[in-house]
Amino acid sequence: MIEFQDVTFVHQNGVKALDRVSLRIDSGETVAIVGENGAGKTTLVKHVTGLLKPALGNVLVDGQNTATTSTAQLSRKVGVAFQNPDHQLFSESVEEEMAFGLRNFGFPPDLVEQRVARELELFELSEYRKSSPLILSGGEKKRLTLACILAWDPEVVILDEPTVGQDSIQKERLAGTIKMLSASGKTVVVVSHDIEFLWPIQPRVVVMKAGKVVGDGPASKLMQERGLLDSARVAQPQLVEFYESLGSRPEAPFVDPLEARRWVEGGDRA
Amino acid sequence: MMWLSSGFIFRRGTSPYHKLDPRVKLLISILMFVTTLLVKSLYELAAVLAFMIAVAAVATVLRRVARTMAFTALFSTFIFVLNFVFTRNIETSLLYAARFVAIVVSTSLFFITTSPDELEQVMKTFRLPRDVVFAFVTAVRFIPVMFLDTIQIMDAQKSRGLELQKGNLLRRVRNMIPILIPLVVNSVVRSGELAEAMESRAYGSVPRPTSLVEYKTSLTDRAVAAAAVVMFVLVAYSFYFVLPTRIL
Repeated sequence: MIEFQDVTFVHQNGVKALDRVSLRIDSGETVAIVGENGAGKTTLVKHVTGLLKPALGNVLVDGQNTATTSTAQLSRKVGVAFQNPDHQLFSESVEEEMAFGLRNFGFPPDLVEQRVARELELFELSEYRKSSPLILSGGEKKRLTLACILAWDPEVVILDEPTVGQDSIQKERLAGTIKMLSASGKTVVVVSHDIEFLWPIQPRVVVMKAGKVVGDGPASKLMQERGLLDSARVAQPQLVEFYESLGSRPEAPFVDPLEARRWVEGGDRA
Repeated sequence: MMWLSSGFIFRRGTSPYHKLDPRVKLLISILMFVTTLLVKSLYELAAVLAFMIAVAAVATVLRRVARTMAFTALFSTFIFVLNFVFTRNIETSLLYAARFVAIVVSTSLFFITTSPDELEQVMKTFRLPRDVVFAFVTAVRFIPVMFLDTIQIMDAQKSRGLELQKGNLLRRVRNMIPILIPLVVNSVVRSGELAEAMESRAYGSVPRPTSLVEYKTSLTDRAVAAAAVVMFVLVAYSFYFVLPTRIL
């Protein structure tokens, strides 16, 4: 469980990035943090691994205060895939890159080999096993960074803008991975501007604006609150807009385009 | 790290020092730099440093100069220890260590009060080749970007269990590899992208491009420059002919 208790964070330049944020994320939840640029989304998640320490308030991960726990200790529980994969890739080969975190956390060599093989296969990177990670395409690099984190099986997975530079196929795969992680009981936190990507996942949505949490609830409900979304400069999913433009509607917005098509064509119309 | 880096990065200001012609600011920094090399005792160096702090106060960059000093602390300690090991003279060792701080502060005062655009104009005044000027100014412009990159890379690697402060000296140096490789690779990639972006905007198509800004020295600029030169001559004269020699 992750708990933000009245957290305030001020940058060196005096900008208040988080303003008395209180938020609780339970184990096994899938949460999307949305908001305009500079709303404090990345700053918020950096507090979970202790990369940033709050000026006021507390951040607790499974009861451990992140202000007094090292990032290395917290990272064993919380894996963060940062926005730019080029900020972490440095090894001679893809398998070495994946083994880096595992070795840092003291995994025995046989388990390192086993975990690397498992993740390479899961993320369809086996053919690049001996290749330099620097020659991979943007999408492959993103997959590799996520694979690197999942290799040590953290309880919480945080994805910071995972869809930047990804094509539609990669986005679909990523959405599938998130659903798989949720199904396996992991806590998943996704920081993203990409509402169209988040909508089919149907996470709990936390809306941030100017360092504050201004909205919190299930996607199906929150994404219909146009006033809130407009004020936080968050776009409504196209399927929700379409649903709202219909004269007579089903009870809840469509999650999948096929669902919407079936309804329009009359098959599911009440 | 960002806290320390701000001791070297330009931020716009409205102080009288910021408004000076960049060539005059360069002249003042050069004179302060040379003066630090001329000093022969800790007292003289203390006076030079006090003058630099006074300049920083006029330029309203005192806090940032303090950060510059904090940044140099590790290096100057190293210089002190090294000198003490070989000379066994505390005063000489302190002088060299403090001289290093003064040299860094004198150059930092120029860079934190002069924008990259002004720097470009100053270099053009000296008729340096355009490509050299562009490369130098671009390097200065990218210092904050590289600091930011370094922080993001460190965050990413720390999140993978890397402990930079763990182990003996050799281990700590090895711990820097996961930071340095992405930093260098990103810089090379960025420079390639920048070159392409410049070429696609016709960089180099005109051999002698005109400049939007032409600097003209005002009466104040000339007066400040003259005062700086006179002061330098008086100080240098007093160091060699008036004040007693203590060290060297």
